[in-house]
Amino acid sequence: MAGLKYKRLTRDRAAGRFIAFTFTQTRSSLWLGDDHILFVENSGFTETYKRFYFRDIQTIGLQQTKRGRIWNIILGIFTAIFLAIIITMLPKSSPAHWSGDTIAGGVALGSIWALFVLILMLNVFAGPTCKSFIRTAVQTEEIPSFCRLRQTRKVLAKIRPLIVAAQGQITVEEVSARMQETTTGVAAQPSAPTPADGAAPPILS
Amino acid sequence: MNPVIYCPKCQTRLLDGVFNRAELEPCPNCAAPLQIEVFPAFFRKITPGPPAQAVMLEGESSCFFHPQKKAVVPCGGCGRFLCALCDCEFAGEHFCPACLETGKSKGRIKALDNSRTRYDSIALALALLPVLIFYFTLITAPMTLFVAIRYWKAPRSVVRRTRIRFSIALLIALVQIVGWSIFIINLAAKKS
Repeated sequence: MAGLKYKRLTRDRAAGRFIAFTFTQTRSSLWLGDDHILFVENSGFTETYKRFYFRDIQTIGLQQTKRGRIWNIILGIFTAIFLAIIITMLPKSSPAHWSGDTIAGGVALGSIWALFVLILMLNVFAGPTCKSFIRTAVQTEEIPSFCRLRQTRKVLAKIRPLIVAAQGQITVEEVSARMQETTTGVAAQPSAPTPADGAAPPILS
Repeated sequence: MNPVIYCPKCQTRLLDGVFNRAELEPCPNCAAPLQIEVFPAFFRKITPGPPAQAVMLEGESSCFFHPQKKAVVPCGGCGRFLCALCDCEFAGEHFCPACLETGKSKGRIKALDNSRTRYDSIALALALLPVLIFYFTLITAPMTLFVAIRYWKAPRSVVRRTRIRFSIALLIALVQIVGWSIFIINLAAKKS
């Protein structure tokens, strides 16, 4: 296994959302190997690896979230606030008569406003946000770097054929039929604790 | 694990209608847009491993760890004979539990290598961060040199394979050391 070559699937993303700007955050990324996907968590000076072999992947799930829309609203509010400040604070006289302080202040506020506009545009163009999970027989792992729907679907389109090549194809009808069989089989067993019973709710379990 | 799938938002069991669809489908309970791909491994039953068989014939090879059990395979690490119970099959090879543990701790089995220390990042941080309060570089520059030289051949990140960070750290540390040397020499010259 010496000299394994990996192809990057996603860029490094912070694991937490509201700690995105802390210095010691954990960042994670996904890489494609010959027979597995490598999940890399980088906490600055150490890296930890988890391997998801194609033959073992049971499900890949994604759920669209409102996080992108919320950030659009927040950034939009800040953009509007700074624009309002700039408009109200700029003198009514022509720019030729502005003092150095006024120009400096205008440039500073304008830079901050432009920064917010840039971040807002980037957020809009990146598209809707999502949460994604990979499940195997022994674990369900959230993949923080699968955070944008468009990008996640592109990556899924890349790895789906590899998983199918390792496990075989299964049609939608077969999945429905086997899910029904499984549900009947599970219902016949003594009931396991469900999330409503107070057990820790599984994400995809 | 139970062979059922729950909605990641509302934890309702999902029965049908959202699996292997081309587009996002709403959860039947909370309407969260979901797309869930199910693969054949989900329905694969986990079969128990074969039990170890007792030695029946005189002279038959027996397991190193269970002398009453028949050996079925030699360990790929140490060559000891193993019964079906001791046999740990991994990545197409057979190991005894001790060799599997050693392979993991000493990095001999690459597929079990699940963490690496990024000495190149440590060296670069030692070289760069103290520049903000540059008096510290008198101490950190030699430390950077030590880390870069000592761990030059240590296993690097599995995915990022170049030594560019080590090289940059060495360069910065050398510049800092040369700078301090010139400063100290000048100071000594002025005093004398």
